[in-house]
Amino acid sequence: MDYFIFSLSLMLIYVGLASLLHVQFGLLGIPNFGVVGFWGFGMYSVGVLNVQANVPFVFALIITAVLALIITYILGRVILQLEGQAILCATLAFSAIITLLVVTEKWLTFGVVGLGTINYPWKSGDFTEFTYFIFLVIVIAGIQHLIARIHKSSVGRVMIAIRDHEELASSLGKDTFTIKLQWFTATSVLMALLGGLSAPLNQFLTPNMLVPGLTFAVWISLVLGGKEHRFGAMIGVFVTFGLFDILIETYAPVAPKYAVMVPNIKLFLYGAMLVLALLYRPRGLLFSDEGKASRSVGPV
Amino acid sequence: MWLIRDSIFIGLLEASPLVLAAMGFTLIYYLNGFINFAYGESITYGAYFAVLFNVSFGIGFYWAIFPAAMLAGLLSVATYLFFFRPAFLRGVDPTEMIILSIGLSFMLRYGLVIVVGAENAYLNEPSIGYFKVLELGATNLQLVALILVLVVAFNLYWFVHKTGFGENIRGLASNEELAMVSGINPHKVSVLVWFLSGVAGGLSGIFSGVFSTVNPLMGWNIILITVMVSIVAGVGSVKGALVASVAAGILAAAITLISKPLYAEIFMLTAFIGVLWFRGAKVS
Repeated sequence: MDYFIFSLSLMLIYVGLASLLHVQFGLLGIPNFGVVGFWGFGMYSVGVLNVQANVPFVFALIITAVLALIITYILGRVILQLEGQAILCATLAFSAIITLLVVTEKWLTFGVVGLGTINYPWKSGDFTEFTYFIFLVIVIAGIQHLIARIHKSSVGRVMIAIRDHEELASSLGKDTFTIKLQWFTATSVLMALLGGLSAPLNQFLTPNMLVPGLTFAVWISLVLGGKEHRFGAMIGVFVTFGLFDILIETYAPVAPKYAVMVPNIKLFLYGAMLVLALLYRPRGLLFSDEGKASRSVGPV
Repeated sequence: MWLIRDSIFIGLLEASPLVLAAMGFTLIYYLNGFINFAYGESITYGAYFAVLFNVSFGIGFYWAIFPAAMLAGLLSVATYLFFFRPAFLRGVDPTEMIILSIGLSFMLRYGLVIVVGAENAYLNEPSIGYFKVLELGATNLQLVALILVLVVAFNLYWFVHKTGFGENIRGLASNEELAMVSGINPHKVSVLVWFLSGVAGGLSGIFSGVFSTVNPLMGWNIILITVMVSIVAGVGSVKGALVASVAAGILAAAITLISKPLYAEIFMLTAFIGVLWFRGAKVS
């Protein structure tokens, strides 16, 4: 039961990451391939502050948010005026740097030995995991609410205009770079905070948690669910993570001999699904109606 | 002084996989204008094909190089024909092409893991002989790799700049419609380019495999540095890729000599973001 709640909690973190990526890529057109870097930075920052400096969890989160704000703002200033391909490579390089620093800076992170233990911020007996899960539900609901607000507001329409035709948006008097920088920074900081919230879930942090596979899993969820749709990210995570990490890992009768192969088969199928989705259903497997109106804004 | 001498020496000897990878990568980037992360799997599969011939079939290492590199080239052509060409025809934009290539890369990599397992594999090294060059030691294997790099580099340069096919490539890359009007068959040229770059990637994998180990992640581990080097060198410049990858090798060797190998990687990745920023600022 504990493991089931752990899986559900992790799924919520993925829903959050994919939803934030929806704002970055689906609305603003910023291909952030360094999701694991932002998430991992937040997780290790909270972990280091909590374990090495005995900072209480809440203050560790606040310090992490400030650090992440500085880092993502600088990164955003440097990369956001570049074209999509370059942003993708630069964010991928950023996440690789974070992973390498976690390995090399042993005095801070204990390197490959691992950093632990990070305790839950509160104790409520047998219900600690469950209350933390409820807390995560509230956090993710908050993020979803924010995204719903963006979709309804004029900011959302400006974002779509920037994605489809940045010159046009800027010729209409919108400061496109500032809007991109503000939202990239805000969503990336939230990714780092989701990392911070993952620290007590994982309790013991090792560098091999910061694998490109996480970025990839978030991306496949977004593309599969429909990158432009409000609920695309959430439904994508339910389909991918829910199917592979919860249903198959928990309930499928897989012989222990083959169990080690399940993650590999999962990543193989993720790759295949991403390829098929981009070739045949570029607007997402589940939704293809939304965004037709916005598409007409784009260059013909 | 010893630092400069040693890092140039070690850098040159160890850079050969990166040089091969960067030269092959830059051809596709030049012709099709997108960053092909699935190119990393040409590297991985090249090494595994070599293991197949060398270990499973028992063919000598030097003889296994040729068929393994050919198969890596064919795999690269297959990715073009079955995935990237259909995507081009559907009008997928460059950023989504990269995402597609990352998806394909995961599919190929974990498909391989499902078949052969994730454990390290080893190539049967040919008898190792040591040579003393300028008071520093080198193995015959490293020297063969270096010579092969020079041969491939020279041939690619000659191919792109001195032959009719090379002219076709440059024509297609700069103005596809004009090139097609003047009778160039883009399909044939593309197949050839994807084959050649797959062969270069395969060779890169074979040599990085024989220098250390063969594992399913080797291509992914080198692809980011390869992309970086090719972008810094300038799109489609075979000569630039050669110079930049040798420079990266020497730089990495120098940083490794004075600190840790991982710091070399961190430094180069940071420098890469800096170069992108500098370039971007200059363009706009």
